[in-house]
Amino acid sequence: MSRLEAKKPSFCRSEPLTSERVRATLSVLKGIVTSCYGPAGRLKQLHNGLGGSVCTTSQSAALLANLPVTHPILKILTTSVQNHVSCFSDGGLFTAILCCNLVENVQRIGLTPTTVIKLNKQLLNLCTSYLKSEACGCRIPVNFSSTQILLCLVRSILTSKPACMLTTKEVDHISTLILRAFLLIIPENAQDHIILGKSIIVPLKHQRVIDSTVLPGILIEISEVQLMKILPIKKSDSFKVALFCVSLSGDLSDTGEGNVVVSYGVSLENAVLDQLLNLGRQLASDHVDLVLCQKVIHPSLKQLLRTHHVIAVDRVGVAVMEPLSKVTGTRPIGSLDSISPSSYGSVKELCTAKFGFKHFFHLIPNETTVCSLLLCNRNDTAWDELKLTCQTALHALQLTIKEPCVLLGGGCTETHLAAYIRHKTRSEPEGILRDDGCTQTELQLIAEAFCSALESLAGSLEHDGGEILTDGKYGHFWSVQADSPSVVNWPDLLSRCGCGLYSSQEELSWSFLRSARLPFVPQTCLPCEATDSAGNLTLDCFTAKLSGLQVAVETANLILDLSYVIEDKN
Amino acid sequence: MAAAGSVRAALQVAEVLETVVSCCLGPEGRQVLCTKPTGEVLLSRDGGRLLKALHLEHPIARMMVACVSSHLRKTGDGAKTFIIFLCHLLRELHAITDKEKDSFFSENIQTHGRHWKKCCQWKFISQALLTFQTQILDYVMDRYLGRHFLSIFSSSTKERPLCRSSLEMLLGAYFCGRVGRNNHNFVSQLMCDYFFKCTACESGFEEVLELVDDCFVELKVGVTGLPVSDSRIIAGLVLPRDFSVYCPADGDIRIVIVIETIQPLFSTFGSEFILNSEAQFQTSQFWITERTKAIMKYLQKQNVKLLLSTVKQPDLVIYCAGLNGISVVECLSSEELSLIQRVTGLAPFVVPQASSQYELSNTAMVKFCKPFILRSKRYVHLGLISTCSFTPHCIVLCGPVQGLVEQHEVALHGAFKMLRQLFKDLDLNYVTQASDQNCTSSPLIYKNSRESNDLPEIVNGSIQRPYQDTVVKNKDELAKTQTYLKAYSNLVVPSVELETNILCSTPTVTLTDTYQTDATLRCFSPGKARIMDDHEPFIESNSANSTTENTRREISYENLQVTKNARKGSVLPVRHKSLEMCTSQSYCFSSVPAGCVLPVGGNFEILLHYYLLSYAKKCQQSEETMVSMIIANALLGVPKILYKSKKGNYSFPQIYIRALHALQTNQPLISNQTGLESVAGKYQLLTSVLQCLRNILTIDSVINIKRQPQEIYDQDSEEEL
Repeated sequence: MSRLEAKKPSFCRSEPLTSERVRATLSVLKGIVTSCYGPAGRLKQLHNGLGGSVCTTSQSAALLANLPVTHPILKILTTSVQNHVSCFSDGGLFTAILCCNLVENVQRIGLTPTTVIKLNKQLLNLCTSYLKSEACGCRIPVNFSSTQILLCLVRSILTSKPACMLTTKEVDHISTLILRAFLLIIPENAQDHIILGKSIIVPLKHQRVIDSTVLPGILIEISEVQLMKILPIKKSDSFKVALFCVSLSGDLSDTGEGNVVVSYGVSLENAVLDQLLNLGRQLASDHVDLVLCQKVIHPSLKQLLRTHHVIAVDRVGVAVMEPLSKVTGTRPIGSLDSISPSSYGSVKELCTAKFGFKHFFHLIPNETTVCSLLLCNRNDTAWDELKLTCQTALHALQLTIKEPCVLLGGGCTETHLAAYIRHKTRSEPEGILRDDGCTQTELQLIAEAFCSALESLAGSLEHDGGEILTDGKYGHFWSVQADSPSVVNWPDLLSRCGCGLYSSQEELSWSFLRSARLPFVPQTCLPCEATDSAGNLTLDCFTAKLSGLQVAVETANLILDLSYVIEDKN
Repeated sequence: MAAAGSVRAALQVAEVLETVVSCCLGPEGRQVLCTKPTGEVLLSRDGGRLLKALHLEHPIARMMVACVSSHLRKTGDGAKTFIIFLCHLLRELHAITDKEKDSFFSENIQTHGRHWKKCCQWKFISQALLTFQTQILDYVMDRYLGRHFLSIFSSSTKERPLCRSSLEMLLGAYFCGRVGRNNHNFVSQLMCDYFFKCTACESGFEEVLELVDDCFVELKVGVTGLPVSDSRIIAGLVLPRDFSVYCPADGDIRIVIVIETIQPLFSTFGSEFILNSEAQFQTSQFWITERTKAIMKYLQKQNVKLLLSTVKQPDLVIYCAGLNGISVVECLSSEELSLIQRVTGLAPFVVPQASSQYELSNTAMVKFCKPFILRSKRYVHLGLISTCSFTPHCIVLCGPVQGLVEQHEVALHGAFKMLRQLFKDLDLNYVTQASDQNCTSSPLIYKNSRESNDLPEIVNGSIQRPYQDTVVKNKDELAKTQTYLKAYSNLVVPSVELETNILCSTPTVTLTDTYQTDATLRCFSPGKARIMDDHEPFIESNSANSTTENTRREISYENLQVTKNARKGSVLPVRHKSLEMCTSQSYCFSSVPAGCVLPVGGNFEILLHYYLLSYAKKCQQSEETMVSMIIANALLGVPKILYKSKKGNYSFPQIYIRALHALQTNQPLISNQTGLESVAGKYQLLTSVLQCLRNILTIDSVINIKRQPQEIYDQDSEEEL
């Protein structure tokens, strides 16, 4: 008999964007993400009134994962940002704010969605082709012979996450660690395509950040009791390692779908244990020094191995199995009898180490592409934030290897791009319109909306009531502290632009970002010496930002295209 | 409780549905966001999906949705048009009954009686609809609409080569109504590329379509978080899982499929394994290990490099595979398995009972097998070597949110379904009426009128042929073609024109003896001129059936006749074919041939509207006229919505007047739209809607019951038999 349940009819709403409630919720979301943006961003504390852990963050990944969103339109926006973050780690807030800005600005114009979507797409194409072109004025090629730019990139990512609670000194320390961890996973003798290793982040909470460190090889955490049992390690150049993926606990393997009848007095446990002990003897006779097991090792077998001076470590878990087999060169063994000698691997050095109050078993391989990043921070929530940030930075470095260039950060890319679009839409609108059936006026309106979305995105870097200026030569981002005298000599008040590339020594005809300005030709093609000389630049990951831009515009288009929302209330 | 099922109620329901679906119709249509109770968000412009998502309660609405989904199962297209068309039909019917109310129900009868009477009237109308559908519609489709049809194939020969540009137009129009506005060009281009990449040879595209339609879920990989423009086509097959063991291998790789665990188990289902001692247990375990090793060794000896398994293999198997350099992919779904089997024709590997030395038979080759990383997730990438006309390729679909990726998936799948429908012939019911009349008189007229058109074409065609070809022709061949023709004339209704053909060729046969001698020096250009001359008498002989003139010419241009004769050798086969086509058309008269398309933008609707109106004018019977008028007017509903936002010259009244004018003056219809749509799909839609309407009209009351209607079992009927 089938159970029937009457379905409630769905709830259908037309033109969702025109409703006041949707606008209000959108602007609330925008307020949340905007206030988090940048190094001066405000932190958000997410907590459940019933108790449990509290999350203090300013990162989109943590924020959006915990934010309960009910309205379907917001859900679209947040999932699209989350998907972007899961692909690129960086640029989540950028995407969210830009998307909100675009939706808001375009709604104010009141053109039909068809035209808006078409033109938005055209403007996006303009942006992407400019950013990908050689002439781009906000792109710096990465020179891998020096670590300068990579270090700047890591430091920019670290400083943009204030919830990590790092001092300047700590930022320097962590960014060098991250860069070192990244360099350690690059194989030394690379062939035509590089397969990167893996850096494992090892948690070490309630310690000073300065105590964080990077070690080549793998750290396996062990309890103090286990440590006592491990015999002093003999000195040797090389240690033979066996890695088991099969359980060595003496349980019976799958016996099939039929029945197995065991006669009285026959003990299968003993039979299996015998088998295990045989295995132990074989390992000992093969002169294995270290036995690692993903699952549990039977105590008797452990005892046997100890008597033969073989170190046994069990329950290493599935997560480290792949790096372990990579580091040691072993093949995970899935058999209980007769092990092929080719399955064994080796490590260069074995030692136990103590970091903080944790004991670790440290495997140092001969040729390393795996490293362990011991990450310390004062409390749980700051550690979580720091871990996320480190992952972001490592990912950004990997993406930079694939696409060896970086974008200027600190709002300069956005303002520059806005200046470029303004100039392009004024000077050659025909090239952008082609035969879309849109008029030039429509293009001007949409371009203005698009540019102001970009500019107010840059403007949301400022949270302390300061003014934002842009210059008339490079189109970069300059911020002035609040309460500065109104009409003064700008070069005295300004020091460097947002990304740190240009100083205020030049006469650059500054003007307020919010005021109306004449379109100008922003200088394209960065001079080489400018990038080399500048010591401390703020930089963004190229791939992540480019994709963030695309995703933001595509999502905004998607939201603008909605004519109905059907909510299933079941 | 019973509620009156009336046209009024149905109209109200249909109007509500129309407002929802009409916003997504056509190239200007917008998206609808659906949320699922699980919290998932879905974007859609697919009418069927929207109607389902609404979870309608109204009984008539539920019936309409059921009709739509059964239509969709058949064709995969046209849910929105269905609702709009149905709504307009109901509106027309309602308007008519409002007008006729006074005449029908002037007498003062009780309400109940009036209700029944009304129902009888609806029954009557639905009968009229049935006759319309079975007789008039197909007649009009065939007689009038047929001449406007275009074909997706670039030529009408047997191989039916696909024309890429028209396929692009067809798909472009399809995706215009399915996916977001700035993606439809991209998606349709992607689909087009995919289709042509998968089709190894020209002729096998039907097989390809069938396979892709059946296994589409396995042939696509959805990736969220990337811009749509990152979507691409990848050669080979991508399986959404990682290798259990990966051993790099070069060159062609031999693969086997297993559907059971390779390691033998203690006992199989329904059997018992009795253990008497510990040693017995140990030896049997030892035997199992040795056996597994032996099998893996055997596979390695047979040069197998990849093992595809539908089940999870024990650790031991994985370990042995790794030792023997065999990569393993586990847990293949049954759909993936069937796809691989369809592509490679590979049967599963049966674990040999004894340690066998014989050659392994069930293997296939792959070009490569390697891990494939998409958005830091690992996939297995197989370069299957196909044994059928399908060259395996995968589509990677990217989008910022899952909802969008899903929308593209559904649209692509629907497009394959639509193409599959398009390449099928669609039979019309029109045969019954046509056969008795047409066999006697109309085919003749038809053929004659056609022949006069065809003839110059054929002569031209022969001119284009290289001259040398004709020289090779000899008497024997000619005689052969002649006998063909004679045989043919027996088959077909003997027509005037065929006789003349034979008459034309008889004198040439006698003259072929001179052909050998005269064939020495003949340059191309004069020959061409002469042929043009010969062309005239040929037609003359057709129309006048005068052999005298023909022979006179032959005498006067004795030399020329030879060339003509030689040419005829090449002409006749062509002609022969064209004749065959003629006759086949006259016999399978009523069908929409595969690949028939019309330009989009309400072309079909306007054409059918015009011809139905003109048919209604000619018709004597009042109900036929009425039904045709109703349907003709309702048809305009779709183009009206399509052109709603257009202004000036492209507004609906302008388009409509221009189309009518063109039809009245027999000029070709000019369409400003670049897309194409399937005729068969439109026709099927029309019939489905009429069927649904008949259902609505014949219901007189809706009874609400508390439990499910009991299923009717057919046990009794069996007993009776």
